[in-house]
Amino acid sequence: MATPTVSRIRRQLPTSPWLFAAPGLLIIGAFILYPFLSTLVNAFTDRRTLIPGEFVGLANFRELLGDDMFWIGLRNSTLYVVGVVPALVILPLLLAMLVQKNIPGITFFRSAFYTPVVASIVVVGLIWVWLLDERGLVNSLLETIGVGRIGFLSDQWLLLLSAMAVTVWKGLGYYMIIYLAALANVPRELHEAAAVDGAGAIRRFVTVTVPAVRSTMVLVGALSSVAAFKVFSEVYLMAGPSGGPAGEDTTLVMLVQRTGTGLTGRVGYASAISVVVFVVTVALMLLVLRADRRDET
Amino acid sequence: MPISRRALAAAFAVCVALPLSACGSGGDGGGTADASGKVEGDITFQTWNLRANFKDYFEGVIADFEKKYPGTKVKWVDQPAEGYADKISADAAGGTLPDVVNVSPDLVAPLAKAGLALDLDKAAGKYKKEYLDGAWASHQVPGTQGTYAFPWYLNTGPLFYNKALFKEAGLDADQPPKTYDEVFDAALKMAKETDGKVATLANVPTIEDFGRYGVELMNKQGNGFSFNDAKGVELLTKYKELYDAKALDPQALTATPESSGKKFLTGAVAMNPGSALDLGNFKKQVPNLYKNIGITDQITSTGHVNMYVMGVMVNAQTKRTPAAVAFAHYVTDAEHQMSFAKQVAIFPSTAGSLDDPYFTKEDGTDETRVRVAAAKSLKNAVNYTPVLFSEQMKTELRNEVAKALQGKESPKEALDNAVKACDTLLQQQG
Repeated sequence: MATPTVSRIRRQLPTSPWLFAAPGLLIIGAFILYPFLSTLVNAFTDRRTLIPGEFVGLANFRELLGDDMFWIGLRNSTLYVVGVVPALVILPLLLAMLVQKNIPGITFFRSAFYTPVVASIVVVGLIWVWLLDERGLVNSLLETIGVGRIGFLSDQWLLLLSAMAVTVWKGLGYYMIIYLAALANVPRELHEAAAVDGAGAIRRFVTVTVPAVRSTMVLVGALSSVAAFKVFSEVYLMAGPSGGPAGEDTTLVMLVQRTGTGLTGRVGYASAISVVVFVVTVALMLLVLRADRRDET
Repeated sequence: MPISRRALAAAFAVCVALPLSACGSGGDGGGTADASGKVEGDITFQTWNLRANFKDYFEGVIADFEKKYPGTKVKWVDQPAEGYADKISADAAGGTLPDVVNVSPDLVAPLAKAGLALDLDKAAGKYKKEYLDGAWASHQVPGTQGTYAFPWYLNTGPLFYNKALFKEAGLDADQPPKTYDEVFDAALKMAKETDGKVATLANVPTIEDFGRYGVELMNKQGNGFSFNDAKGVELLTKYKELYDAKALDPQALTATPESSGKKFLTGAVAMNPGSALDLGNFKKQVPNLYKNIGITDQITSTGHVNMYVMGVMVNAQTKRTPAAVAFAHYVTDAEHQMSFAKQVAIFPSTAGSLDDPYFTKEDGTDETRVRVAAAKSLKNAVNYTPVLFSEQMKTELRNEVAKALQGKESPKEALDNAVKACDTLLQQQG
C-alpha cells in the first residue's frame, strides 16, 4: 500500500516537471522570447523611442534595400565572418595541440593563452588602440625598422583587419579549451598506428587529428561564425562610435545600436535590421550544420 | 495536470499580444502643470555623472531643501556619463522617468515633443527673470511653445596650444592664431616643418564649428538645415586642405573628444579646445606640457563663442509637481549655482552671477585668467548646436565630412548630402 506522501507526489506528477522548469521558462520568456517577439512586431512598425508606432507593413524592409549604410553593414559583417571564422577554427586547434603535451611549465602557457578570454573587451580594445595608434608601439617599431608608419586606425580596411585580429586574438584561448577537451578523446593508439605505418606529423594531423575532432571544428565554426556576424565591441572600440572613417567600418549590429537607441531612436527600423541579422545568423548555423551532415554521408 | 494545447496556444497568443500592445498610444501618467500647491512629498532627482566628485555638495543641497520644506524627501540617483541618453530614453519609454532630471538641450527636445517635459513658462514663469536670457532660451524647442528646463551651469573654454611645438615649427608661441585664417596658416606651416608628424587640429568640424565659422545652421522657420551654404562649403574646403597636408590629424576621422585630448597630452597635436578644468589635469598628469601650455581665445568669426548648457527638467508626469518644480529651481538658483561653481570650473547661468568678483578678478594664476576670460565671453556666448540636432544627425554630418576629407565627395556634395539626411531625420522626429 502506498504511503500518503508517495500518493501525493504521484497525483502531482504531471505538473511537477513544469514547476521545476517554471523559473527557467519564466526567465526565457521575459528576457528572450518576449524581446524577440517584440522586435519582430516592431520591425513592421514605425515605432520610435518615445513615440508608439503604427503598423507600416514591409516599409522598413523596403527602406533597408535603399540604405547605403545597411549594405555597408552587411558587407562588413560578412567580411568579418569570412576573415575571422577560418582563423578561429584552425589556429586554436594548432594551439591546443601545442599545449596538449604534458611537459613542465605547460600550465603556464595554457593559462597565458586563455588570459585574453577573461580580459574585459573594453580593456583589450583600448590596449590595441594604444598599440596600433599612429604614434603607438607598433608604428614606432615599424618606423625604427624603416617600414614607416601605417594608418591601422585611419584606413577603413586596415581598421577592419585590426578589429578582426583582436577578435581572433581574444577568441583563441576559448576555442583552444574546447579543442583540448576534444583532443583528449582522440585515442593515442590511432596516432601510434599511423606513426608505425610511416605517417609524418602533418599526415597524422590531416588523417587522424582532423577527422577525430571534425565535429568540434563544426561546432567552433558555427559558434564563431554567429559571433563574428554579430560583432560590435571590437569595431566600436577601435573605429569609434561613428564606425570608422565615413562610417565605412560599420557592422550591422553597430547600425542597430546607432539607429535604434537614444531619445530619437528609430526602434522600428532598427528592429527590421535586427530581424535581418537573426535570419542571417540562423542561415549561417544551418549552412554549417548542413555542410557537416553532407561530409558525414 | 497535463498542459493542454489550448493553454499552450493561449500562452503563445499572450506572448505575441504583449509586444503588439506596445504599439498603442502611450500611457498618460496624469501629472499636472500646476506648481502652485504645497511643496511636499517624495521626489527623485537624477544627475549626470556627478556623484563621484560632488557627493557631499549634493547631499548638502538636498538636506537643506528638505529642511526648508518639511514633508519633502528627495531621492538622489546619479547615472554614468556613458549611455546617459539611453538611460533616459529607457526610463521615458518605461514610464519611470525621475521627477527632476539633469538634461542638456538636445536631450530635452525629444522629451518635450513627447510631452514628458514640463513647460516651465507656464509652471514656473515667475523665475524666468532670475536667469540669463540666452540660458533660459536654450531649452526652448522649435515647433513647440514653452521652455522645458531650468538653465543650470554653463561652460566654455579657451583654445590650448603647445608652445614648444609652436617654437619647433618656427611659429611665434607668444602670438597664437586669433582667426580661422591664422589657425589654418599656422596648421599648414606646422605640418610642413614637421613633415606631417605634428598636426595642429585633431577633430573634424562639427555642427558647432560650422556655427562659429558663421554658417547659418537652420533655416529661419527652424524646420530645415542650411549648413550647406557657401560659408559651410568654404570651411569644409579649408579642412580638406588641412587633411591633405596632415595639418589635421589623420585619425581625426574617427576621433572622439577624449582621444583628441589624449593626442594633445602626448604632443601629437598642437592645439585643442578645453576648459578651465583641463588646466588642473595638465598640471597633474603632464607637468612638462603644463610648462609649455599656451592659452588663447576660442576662435570665432561671429564674435560669439560657443557655450555648453546644462539644464534641470521637471517630468511632466510627476505626481509632485510643486515639490519637483521647487527643487529644480532650488538647485539652479543663484545661490546654489554660485556655490557649485566654486566646487568645479563651471559657470552659473543666473543673471548677475558672472559679475561676482570670483569671475571678474584675476589673482595672477592661469586658472583665474582662464576663468575670468571664460566668464566674460559667456555673457554673449551662443549654444550653436541646434536643440533638434540629434546623435543620428551628428553621425550623418560626421560621415559626410569624412567623405569630403577623403576626397570621395566634393565639400559641396558632402554637405548637400548631410543636409538632406538631417532633414529626413528631422521630419521623422515629427
